Amino acid sequence: MRDRSNSADGNPDRDLSAEHPPSPLEVEGEERDDQPREASIDQSGRVTTGFGRYLFKHVSGAIVSLLLVLFSSFFIFRLIAGDPIDQLTRERPVTPEQRETMREEMGLNDPLFTQFIDYITGMLTGDFGISLQFRRPILELILERLPATLLLSGTGLVLAVALGFLVGTKAGWRQGSRFDRTQVTTGLLLYSAPTFWLGMLAILVFARYLGWFPVNGMRSPNTPDDFFSQALDIGHHLVLPVLTYTAVVYAGYLMVMRSSILDEVGSDYLTTARAKGLRDDKVRRKHAIPNALLPTITLVFLAIGNIVNGAIVTETVFSWPGLGRLFVQSIFYPDRPMLQALFVLFSSATIIAVLFAEILYWFIDPRVRKS
Amino acid sequence: MKTRSMKRRLVAAGAAAVMTASILATTATQAAAEADNDDKNSLLVAAGQEVDTFNPFKSRFIITYNTNLMTYDTLVRASAVDYEPEPGLATDWDESDDGLTWTFSIREGVEWSDGEPLTAHDVAYTYQLLIEDEGVRSWNIDFAGNLASAEAPDDTTFVLTLNQPAPAEVLNSGTYIVPKHIWENYDDPADDNINDELPLVGSGPFQVSEYRTDEFIRLEANENYWDGAPGFDEVVYVYYNEPDAAVAALETGEVDIVNNLNPAQAAALEGQDGITVNNAQNRRWVSLVLNHGARTADGDSYGDGHPALQDQAVRQALHHAIDKEVLVETVLDGNGDPGVGIVPRIFENFHWDGGDELVQFDLDEANRILDEAGYELGDDGIRTMPDGDEELSFRFYHHADSTDYATVVQFVTEWWAEIGVEALPEPIEQGSLNDLVYLGEYDVSFSGWGVGPNPTSILGQHTCDVLPETTDGSERSHENFFCNEDYDQLHRAQQVESDPDVRADLIHQQQRILYEEAPVIWLYYQNVVEAYNSDKISGMTLQPSENGMITGQQGFLWAYHSATPTGETAGDGTSTGVLVAIGAAILVVIAGGAFYLLRRRSTADERE
Repeated sequence: MRDRSNSADGNPDRDLSAEHPPSPLEVEGEERDDQPREASIDQSGRVTTGFGRYLFKHVSGAIVSLLLVLFSSFFIFRLIAGDPIDQLTRERPVTPEQRETMREEMGLNDPLFTQFIDYITGMLTGDFGISLQFRRPILELILERLPATLLLSGTGLVLAVALGFLVGTKAGWRQGSRFDRTQVTTGLLLYSAPTFWLGMLAILVFARYLGWFPVNGMRSPNTPDDFFSQALDIGHHLVLPVLTYTAVVYAGYLMVMRSSILDEVGSDYLTTARAKGLRDDKVRRKHAIPNALLPTITLVFLAIGNIVNGAIVTETVFSWPGLGRLFVQSIFYPDRPMLQALFVLFSSATIIAVLFAEILYWFIDPRVRKS
Repeated sequence: MKTRSMKRRLVAAGAAAVMTASILATTATQAAAEADNDDKNSLLVAAGQEVDTFNPFKSRFIITYNTNLMTYDTLVRASAVDYEPEPGLATDWDESDDGLTWTFSIREGVEWSDGEPLTAHDVAYTYQLLIEDEGVRSWNIDFAGNLASAEAPDDTTFVLTLNQPAPAEVLNSGTYIVPKHIWENYDDPADDNINDELPLVGSGPFQVSEYRTDEFIRLEANENYWDGAPGFDEVVYVYYNEPDAAVAALETGEVDIVNNLNPAQAAALEGQDGITVNNAQNRRWVSLVLNHGARTADGDSYGDGHPALQDQAVRQALHHAIDKEVLVETVLDGNGDPGVGIVPRIFENFHWDGGDELVQFDLDEANRILDEAGYELGDDGIRTMPDGDEELSFRFYHHADSTDYATVVQFVTEWWAEIGVEALPEPIEQGSLNDLVYLGEYDVSFSGWGVGPNPTSILGQHTCDVLPETTDGSERSHENFFCNEDYDQLHRAQQVESDPDVRADLIHQQQRILYEEAPVIWLYYQNVVEAYNSDKISGMTLQPSENGMITGQQGFLWAYHSATPTGETAGDGTSTGVLVAIGAAILVVIAGGAFYLLRRRSTADERE
C-alpha cells in the first residue's frame, strides 16, 4: 500500500475548488480561461436556488417518465397473444363451465376499463395483484426472488466494474501495447459471445467435466439449515453464474474507461504533473483516473438500475431463482399481471438510478452548475 | 532481465494458484456432495414446472398432480400393470344395479401423517366438499356435477350416490382424500392459498414438507404408509430450466431422474456407467388439425378456413399422403409409434388399431380420391376446386419453438405437393397459434395432448356439447369444431357402461368415426425418454408393465414408492472438509492479491 503522506504534495484533482493547477474539468469547459474561481464562488452563492431548480426539473421529469411507464405497462402486455387459461388446462381437457369458472376467478372476464382502474389503484397502493401462474400475491413472489437477483447481478456488477475499470485504465494508458491489444480483444470476444452459449460452456467445463462447481440452481436441497453452511453452499453455486455474467458485461466498462483515459492521456495537466517529477504510476492514479471516471458514472448508475431486472439469460441458463427468470416464465405463460408489475419495477429502478446520477452530477461536474 | 524473471515468476505463481484453487474446489465439491448424502436417502427428480397451488381441489399442473398424488391417497388406484382400477384406500367397492349408488369399504387402521386415524368420515367429508362447496364444486364440475350425496354410515363404509350412472368417472376420478380434522378449520376450502402449512397432512407415501419457489419441492416419506414405507427417505423435485443442464446434473450425480430427453441427449447418456436410459411409451400424441369448418353451437360458421377442407374426401386424401412411419423414423429417431386414433397405444384396452380401415401411405390412392372428387390438376401442379378456380393451397401453421414440427412440415409439404396440394408453412408462437385455431382462422395446424387412463375427457373434446357459443375464440373446450350425432351417442353410452369390454368397444367405434371423418390426423405417439442414476436407485416399478414409464405415471406414483437405494452412501461427510477447503481457497486468493501488490510496487519502483 502506498503511504498516505505522498498525496500531501498538493495533488488537487479530487478537490474541484482547489487552487492549482486548474481542474481539467473546468479547463475542458466552455469558459476555459481565467476567472474560474470567482465564477464558481459566485455561483456557489446561488447554489441553493440553482440546485433547487435543477432538482425540481429532474425529479418532475422522472415522475412523468414513471407515469408513462405505469400507463403503457398495462397496454403493452395486452398485445401478447394467448389465453392464460390454455396453460392451466393443457394437461386435462375441461368443460366450458370449468373454463368459465377459471376465467371469472382470475378476473379475465372483467371489462378492460375495470381492469385498468384496478391495476392503477393497485399499483399506487402497493397491491400488485395475483399472479396467474403461481396464483399468489405478486408482491410476495417478487420479494421472494429479489435477494437472489441482487446477489447475482450485484456481485456480477461490482466485479465487472472493478475489472473493467482496472483493465480499461491500464489499456488506455498504454494504448497500442500488447496488454492493450490482448485485453481489448479478449474483452470484446467475451462481450460478443452469446451469454447462453458461454453459460452452457461454463457448465460443461467447470461443472460437468471438472466437477468444481454445481451445475445449476442456488443451493443444494440437503444443505444443513445453519447460516454458515447455507452461505457456503450459495457461494459455491454463485461462482459460475457470476463469472458468466461478469465475462459478458465487463468489456463495456473496459472500453468506456479506456477511451476516457485516452481522452486524458495527452492533456497538459498530465504533462505538468509529470514535469513536477511525479511517477508515471502516480500521475495515472491521482490525476488521470479521477477525471476519466466522470463519463463512466452514468454507465455505472444505469447498470445499478439494471441490477433489479437481473441477468435474464444468465438466470435462465443457471436456473437461478431470480426476477429475470420470473420475467421469462411470465412471458411464456402469459402472466399479464406479473409482467405489468415487473415491467413497472424494472423501469422505475432505471429511472430512479438515472435520477440519482443526474443529481450526483451537480456535485461532481462544475459544468452542470454553470449551465 | 529482472522484469523477465519477474514475469516468469508471476506466471508460475499464477499457475500454482489456479492449480491449488482447482484442487481445493474439487475437494470442496466432493465434501459438499458427501455432506448432501449425510443422513438421508434422497430421490432427486429434475423438474421444470412451477407450483400453481397446493390446494388439491384446484391444482392443474403436472407437478402438483404428482405432489398431490404422493401426499394424498385416492379410493381407487390405476394399476401399474395396465391402468385398470385397483384398491387404494378402498379395499372393495360395489355399484348398485341402477348404477347410481356406490358402496366403498374403507381400509382399516390407516393413519394420517400426523398420527390421526383415517376413517370413512374423512372420505365422506372430502366428497361433500365436492358437492356442497361452491368453489370446489365449480372447479371440478366435470366430476362433481354428477354427485348427489356422500355419506359415511360407519367408520369403514362410504356410500356415494350419483345423478346418472358414471362408473368410469367414479373409478378414475382420482379424488384426493383430505383430512377432515385439518380442512374443517379452513374458512374457504376453494382458496388457492389455504393449504400452505408445511408439512402437509395426508395419508399417501410422501408428504410435501418444504417448498422453495424455483429451487426445490421436498416430500418426506410416510414411514407408516399402509402399503409399506417407501425405500427412500424423501423425494425432492429440483428445478432445472435447461434440459441440457439437467442432463449434466444427472452425469455429476446432482439429480437422479431426468425425463423428456431428446434423441441427442439420450444418445449421449446411453451406455454411460451407472446411468440407465428408459425409452418408454407415452400417453401423448401429436396431430394435424384440419379446419373442416369452424362453427358455433347454433351452426353459424365463422373463420376463414379453406373450403376444400370441408370436403371429407380432401381430408382423407391428405391423410393418405402422410407417411407416418417415415416421420417416426426421422423426426423421433424411431422413438415412437405411428398414430391411429385418439387413444394412444399405451392404453391397450381403449386403443383402436384401425383394423381393415387403417390408412396406408399411398400417393396414387390420394391422387385417385382427389381426381374422383373433381379437383383438377392445374398447369402449375396445384389442384383447383371443382366449382371454381380457387387452388388447393393451405396455410400450414406450426409451433415456432418446435424443431420436430418444423421437420414434419418439410416432409408433409413435399408429399402433399405430389398430390397437387400446396402447403404454405408458417411458424407461429404458441399463444398466437392457439388464438388463430379457436378463431377458425387457419387451414392446417399442429396439436398435441396427453391422455389419461379414462379417455372420456379427451373424447369429449369432439362432442357437440363443447362447440363455442360465440365466435370470439374464447371458448376453448373443443379441439376443432367437430360435431357428429352418432359420435355423441356412443360417447354418452360409454360414459354409463360398466362392462369394460363393452365400453372399450364403444370407444373404438368413436375413434373409428373420428378416423373416417378425419377432422384430425394423428401423426404419432411419441415415446418419453427418461434416464436415471442406476448406481443409486433400483426397483422402480414401471407403468404400464410393458415398456412403461417412470415419471409420467397416473393414478399412483408406483416408481417413487417402490424405488429403493442400492447401497450405502458416503460416510460421515461432515462439512469440516468444505470449510477447510474454502478457507484455504480464500488464503490462496489473499496470497495472490498480496503478491500482485508487491509486484506492482516493485515495478513502480523500477520505473521511478
